[in-house]
Amino acid sequence: MNKVGTLEVNNLNKRFGSLGQDVKVLDDVNLTVKPGEFISIVGQSGCGKTTFLRLVVGLESDYEGDILLDGKKLNGPDLKRGVVFQDHRLLPWLTIEKNVGMGLKNSSDREARKSVLEHIELVGLKGYEKHYPHQLSGGMSQRAAIARALVNRPKILMLDEPLGALDALTRMYMHQELERIWKKEGITMIMVTHDVDEAIFLSDRVVIMSSRPGTIRKIIPVPLARPRDRAGTDFLRIKEEVLKEFHLHTETPFSYAI
Amino acid sequence: MVIAEKIKGFIAGNYRGFITFLSLFILWSGVTHYQLLSPESLPAPQVVTATFKEVFSSGLLGKSLGMSLSRIARGFLIGCSLGFLVGAAMGVSRSAERLLAPLINAVRQVPIIGWIPLIIVWCGIADMSKITFIAIGAFFPMVVNTFDGIRSVPHGYLEVARVFEYGRLRLLRSIVVPGALPAIVSGIRLSLGASWMLVVWSEINTRSDFGIGDMLWSARESSKMDLVIVCIVVIGAVAFSINELLGQIESRLQGWKRSCR
Amino acid sequence: MKLEQLKNLTFALIIPLVLLIAWDVATRLELVSAQLLPPPRMLFESWLEMQRNGELRDNMEVSLLRVVLGFLLGAGVGFLLGAAMGVWREVELYLSPLFNCVRQVPIVGWLPFLILWLGIDELFKVVFIAVGTLIPVSVKTLEGIKGVPASYLEVARVFRFGWARTLRTVIIPCALPSIVTGLRLGLSEAWMLVVGAELVAASAGIGNVMTIARRLFQTDVVLVGVIVIAVTGYLMDRLLGLLELRLLGWRRANGAH
Repeated sequence: MNKVGTLEVNNLNKRFGSLGQDVKVLDDVNLTVKPGEFISIVGQSGCGKTTFLRLVVGLESDYEGDILLDGKKLNGPDLKRGVVFQDHRLLPWLTIEKNVGMGLKNSSDREARKSVLEHIELVGLKGYEKHYPHQLSGGMSQRAAIARALVNRPKILMLDEPLGALDALTRMYMHQELERIWKKEGITMIMVTHDVDEAIFLSDRVVIMSSRPGTIRKIIPVPLARPRDRAGTDFLRIKEEVLKEFHLHTETPFSYAI
Repeated sequence: MVIAEKIKGFIAGNYRGFITFLSLFILWSGVTHYQLLSPESLPAPQVVTATFKEVFSSGLLGKSLGMSLSRIARGFLIGCSLGFLVGAAMGVSRSAERLLAPLINAVRQVPIIGWIPLIIVWCGIADMSKITFIAIGAFFPMVVNTFDGIRSVPHGYLEVARVFEYGRLRLLRSIVVPGALPAIVSGIRLSLGASWMLVVWSEINTRSDFGIGDMLWSARESSKMDLVIVCIVVIGAVAFSINELLGQIESRLQGWKRSCR
Repeated sequence: MKLEQLKNLTFALIIPLVLLIAWDVATRLELVSAQLLPPPRMLFESWLEMQRNGELRDNMEVSLLRVVLGFLLGAGVGFLLGAAMGVWREVELYLSPLFNCVRQVPIVGWLPFLILWLGIDELFKVVFIAVGTLIPVSVKTLEGIKGVPASYLEVARVFRFGWARTLRTVIIPCALPSIVTGLRLGLSEAWMLVVGAELVAASAGIGNVMTIARRLFQTDVVLVGVIVIAVTGYLMDRLLGLLELRLLGWRRANGAH
C-alpha cells in the first residue's frame, strides 16, 4: 500500500514560559520524514523529544516555525497522525475490542468491527477481544494500544517511548513485533526513545537530539538489512557512532552487546 | 513587589467568587428593601448585623457558645479518647479486632440521631444526655480512623523493623504511630466536626440550660429570624474554624507522606 | 477456609452473646428498673406487637417514602450541580466559594428557615433531606470529574472525540466510582436526616414513633425503633453497594483507585 505521508518540520522553535521566565525547549529543529520511513529520535530525558512529538501530534500548540503533513499545516490532533503513549492509556472500563475501536467514528457497523478484529490479530492479541486491560500484561496492553492507533489507518504513527514501561525481555520481543507490524502496514513511524539499541534495531535513520535547548545534533542513517543482528559489526559500529554523540563510547572498538 | 503580585493573583483567581457573593448580598438587600418578602420571613442585613452586635455585647452569645463548647469539650474528650483506645487495640491485635469489630460495625449502623430518644430516656435532658450523645458521635469516626490508620501502615515498613529486630514498643513508637498519625488526625477532625453538629442537634432536642442550639430554636419559635441567622452564621463559623485548623495540621502531617510517593 | 470462617464467627459472637446474657440476667434479677432497660423478651414482644398492628409498617412506609423522595431530589440536583462545576471551569469558579461556605453550616442550621417557609409537613422534610443529600453528592461528583486523568482526556483529543462522546466514553465512566460513593454517603445522610427531622417536627414516621414512646417512657419501643433504624440503614447501604458492584465490576479486579 503506497500511502502519502511526508512530514516536514521547518525551523521549529518552542518556548515554555511562566512568570516571565522563558525556557526554550526546542531550538530550530529541522526534519523531513519520508513516507514509510522508520525514524527514531534518541536523546536524554528532558531534551525536548517528547515535546517535539506532542507538537507533531497536535497535543501542544503555540510554536514558531512550520510543521507540515503533505504540505498542509497542522491544526490540532487529527486521525491522520496516530500516537502510542508510553503508558498505554487504554480505558480500563472498556474491553480490548472497544478500546481498539475507539478511533472509529461508528464502531458498531460491520466494516468497522472487521477492521478492529483484523488489527487485534495483527498485533498478536487474537482471542483477547473481550478481555479488560487489567487482565493483560504490560506488553499486551501496549500492543493493544498500537492496534488502537493503527485502526483508522493514519499516515504517520508517533510512538512516545512505547516500550519504556516494559521489562527488558518483553522489550526485545516487542522490537520484533513492532518491526513486523511496520513492515505489514507500510506506515511512517516516528519513535522517541532513550534506548540506543532499540533505535538502531528498528530505524532507517536515527535522529540524535541534544538537550537544553532541544535541537537536532546529528542524523545517522542505518542502511543495514533487516532483521538486524544486534551483535553484528555494522550494528555495533553505528552504535558507537551514536554513543559518541553522548560521550558514552568506549575506547575498544567492540563491546559485548545483548 | 512579590506581595503585590500575590494579591493580584488572588483577586484574578477569585473575583468570580466575589461577584457571586456580592450579587447574593445585593439580592438580599433588594428583596428586604422593597419588601418582596415579609420582614418576618427574611430580615434585612442591617437588622441581622444589629442583632449580632446586641447579642454579642450583651454576653448572651458568649454564654450560649460557651455552654455548647464546654459540652463538646467533655463529650468529645470522652468519645475521642475511647475511640482511639479501642481503635488502637483493634489495629494492633488481631484477636481484639475479631472480638470487637463485628459489634462495633453493627452498632455503627445506627444513624447517630437515632440515639437521641434512647439517651433521653436513660439520661434525662440535662447536660449528661448531651454529653453522652456527643461522646457516641465522637467515638465512631475515631475508632474507624485509628484502626484504618494503623492497618494501613505499609507492611514493607513492618518487615524492615523485623529485620532490624525492633522490640514491640520501639515498633509502635517509631513506625506504627507516625505511620498512622495522618489518619488519626483525620479522625480527630471528623470527630470534632461531628461533635459540633451533634451538640446543636442535642440542644434542639433537649431544650435546657442554654447553648447555641437552644438559642437557635428559641429564636425560631418566637419567629426572630434575625437571631436565627446570627446563630446559623456562628454555627457555620465554628464548624469552618474546626475544619480549617485541623485540616492545616493534617496537611502538615501529610507532607512527608506525599513526598514518599 | 471453612475452619477460619468458623473461628471468626465464634469470635464475633462472643461479646454480643455475653452482653445479651448479662442483659437478660440484669433484668431478671431486677438490677436495673424495667423502665430503663426492658428485658430482651419484652423487646421482642413489642416488636411483634408493632408488626401485627401495622404500626411499624405504616410508619416505616412514611419515613421511607420521605427518604426516597428527598434522596432522589437531592441526588439529582447534586449530580447536576457537581457535573456542571466539573465540566465548566467558569461555573466552578463562580459557584464553589459560595458552595463551600454554605457547606460549612451543618444541616441543622437549615431547619428554622425551611420550617418557616415550608411549614412542618411533607414538603419541608423532603426538601430538608434533599439539601442534606445534595452536598455529598455534588462534592463527590465534582471530585470524580476533576479527577479524570489528563492522560485519558488526551486520548479523547487524539481520536477527535466531540465533547458529548468524551463525556460519555471517558469522563462519566472514570468519575463513576466517586459519584457512587457520593450517592452512598448521600443516602446514609438522608436516612439520618429523616429521623432527625421526624424527632423535631412530625406527626408520623419512625422518628415520631420513637419520640412518642420516649415521652411515655416506653423504652422497649424506643429500643425497637433504634434497631429498626439501624437495620434499614444497613440494608439500604448494602443495596447501593450491590448496585455499585454491577456498575463498576471492571474496577474491582483493577484494585482500588
